[in-house]
Amino acid sequence: MPDGTLIITRSERPRWRDNLIIAVMAAAAGVAILVTLGIVLSLVFETILFLKKVPISNFLFGLEWSPQTAIRADQVGAEGSFGVLPLINGTLLISAIAMAVATPLGLTSAIYLSEYASKRARDWVKPALEILAGIPTVVYGFFAALTVAPFIRMTGGQFGLEVASESALAAGMVMGIMIVPLISSLSDDVINAVPQSLRDASLGMGATQSETIRRVVMPAALPGIAGSLLLATSRAIGETMIVLMAAGLAAKLSLNPLDAVTTITVQIVALLTGDQEFASAKTLSAFALGLLLFVLTLIMNVIALRIVKKYREQYD
Amino acid sequence: MINFTQEAGFGLRRRKRAEARFQWAGRGAILISLAFLVIMFASIIGNGAGVIWQSQIAVTVDLSAEEIDPENIGDASFNSLVKKGLRDAFPEVEKRKEKKRLYGLVSTEAAFEVERQIQANPELLGGMQTLWVTASDDADLYISGQVDTDLPEVKRRVSDAEIAMLDKLLEEGLARETFNRGFFTNGDSREPEIAGILSSLMGSALTLLVCFALSFPLGIGAAIYLEEFAPKNRMSDLIEVNINNLAAVPSIVFGLLGLSIFLGYMGLPRSTPLVGGMVLALMTLPTIIIASRAALRSVPPSFKEAALALGATPVQAIFHHVLPVAMPGMLTGAIVGMAQALGETAPLLMIGMVAFIVDVPTSVLEPATALPVQIFLWADAPERAFTEKTAAAIIVLLTFLILMNLIAILLRRKLETRF
Repeated sequence: MPDGTLIITRSERPRWRDNLIIAVMAAAAGVAILVTLGIVLSLVFETILFLKKVPISNFLFGLEWSPQTAIRADQVGAEGSFGVLPLINGTLLISAIAMAVATPLGLTSAIYLSEYASKRARDWVKPALEILAGIPTVVYGFFAALTVAPFIRMTGGQFGLEVASESALAAGMVMGIMIVPLISSLSDDVINAVPQSLRDASLGMGATQSETIRRVVMPAALPGIAGSLLLATSRAIGETMIVLMAAGLAAKLSLNPLDAVTTITVQIVALLTGDQEFASAKTLSAFALGLLLFVLTLIMNVIALRIVKKYREQYD
Repeated sequence: MINFTQEAGFGLRRRKRAEARFQWAGRGAILISLAFLVIMFASIIGNGAGVIWQSQIAVTVDLSAEEIDPENIGDASFNSLVKKGLRDAFPEVEKRKEKKRLYGLVSTEAAFEVERQIQANPELLGGMQTLWVTASDDADLYISGQVDTDLPEVKRRVSDAEIAMLDKLLEEGLARETFNRGFFTNGDSREPEIAGILSSLMGSALTLLVCFALSFPLGIGAAIYLEEFAPKNRMSDLIEVNINNLAAVPSIVFGLLGLSIFLGYMGLPRSTPLVGGMVLALMTLPTIIIASRAALRSVPPSFKEAALALGATPVQAIFHHVLPVAMPGMLTGAIVGMAQALGETAPLLMIGMVAFIVDVPTSVLEPATALPVQIFLWADAPERAFTEKTAAAIIVLLTFLILMNLIAILLRRKLETRF
């Protein structure tokens, strides 16, 4: 047999095998799409079942959330009332507290790290901050419930304030600290992407470094920073364990940070752990809440990721 | 006329002060965040360190043949043996209520412990033997010095009568503190002094095993396809956007997906590491894909081009020459993803891994719980002694996370020095 034939058969053989391998890998990439599809389909399907039992207007605009108690046995939706507004109220209140803590801390540390800190300091401080992001949320929840909440209650008591033992403030503050590294590392990237020429021009005109940062770098980085704040907010809205352990179960329409409020995620857990009949409105409502949460965070994420990407391209 | 020099001079001083304030604000923000970290660690270590020690009480039990049939050890009533031993040590205790307090000094598991010691050492049989059993949680609080005796009796968990008995035991050397092996070798228990982390640790290990076995090959496959083979069209753009968004979906939503599809539609067994691992795999997939793509991108294209020039097919070039070089980076991503999965709690609550598990699970199809879920369960328990257990379990969890991250950092270092 001449050598040439051998070479041809050898290169012929791997072709179908190569194609098979590529097809398998493409399927693996397709799994990512399947997951999204699975999330959407399962949530939408169960939500439709839920909306057959509870009208959508009652769900979206109802002012009362009490899935357990029936007021009258023969009423429509006898298993309780499913108004989601108190939950949205609680979720937004706690997220707002978290962002009020995390935004100044995260942004100022990002500015300091990217503009002032020496390389050595940055090499130490950045990983130290990242530790905060790596700690499981159940640990934050334990700390919030065991240490921070009693501390706030005690401090509030000294000023004559009545603080609930599971106050929104405790959960929100601890969550805020958790989000700091997310904001600081995203904003750090954004600030670093601002071209050096802008800084040099400002410094050359006689501005001090802080004036340059405030009047030139920050405005230039603003869209990217807005994106990172949006991502952080979406993270706060979807956070479960901290609020489950440190915030309450009482659904209340309140803007007082010292009150106990409940969130969408806490209610999902409360509805789905313990005994449950699968097709009851109570169980199904958890999926409706899940869909609401998914849509809410997805919109924020899509906008945020688009802003950040567009911003990067602008200076590339 | 304006004196420009003077104006500028005043302005300069003000501006320099503003500059200093600005810098201090930055330092302050970093300090506050890091101080919080230190306070949290100190509080948890302070709460959990006590778990290393456990109180034991010595009970002299009658193991003669009248009480225990050497042929049938299991038939004996160890409970009454222990109670009798306690009564003998405190003959002055007569009232029913006081006797109840006396029995309450040892754990409700004490009888089992005596039985186990005899099963392991049958030569103990045949006379009076002094055996060490675990003290109850309240007795442990006193023995380890966590009870403030200055408080009025009603505000304490431990009464004056119990303190008197414990003091007598301590004086006679019949109560001691030893290394708490049980915490690492027991499963969960309703009794805080017995409860250990082994069952949840095994549950976490099995869950992570499933998670890794699914997400690592899937993640690498997807990354190689997207980075090296995918045509640049709307479909690959869609996948790209999709993966980035998936990374930011709240973890509890993955739990709902698992509940509705894996448990509801596919009918897989509830509360098992199999389902837990599958849910966590979907959750960590984006992390692994993103990290693996970055690792592939960091390999110089000349590697692939050289292989292609020598006649390798694209698949051969990738698998033989690019993949080995990118592997440390991919492993780093996988370890970071696994660390994320190890700390994840909310999705596991959704698929029922919150069960009360005493036995150590041995397969992925047995009901199990995971370490973070155990922490959540203990944090909710009313007994004071569970706070200590919770903090100690957190220390164990954080130790594992630190180890995993250290490995990831070392791998990354190795990768960075290559080129």
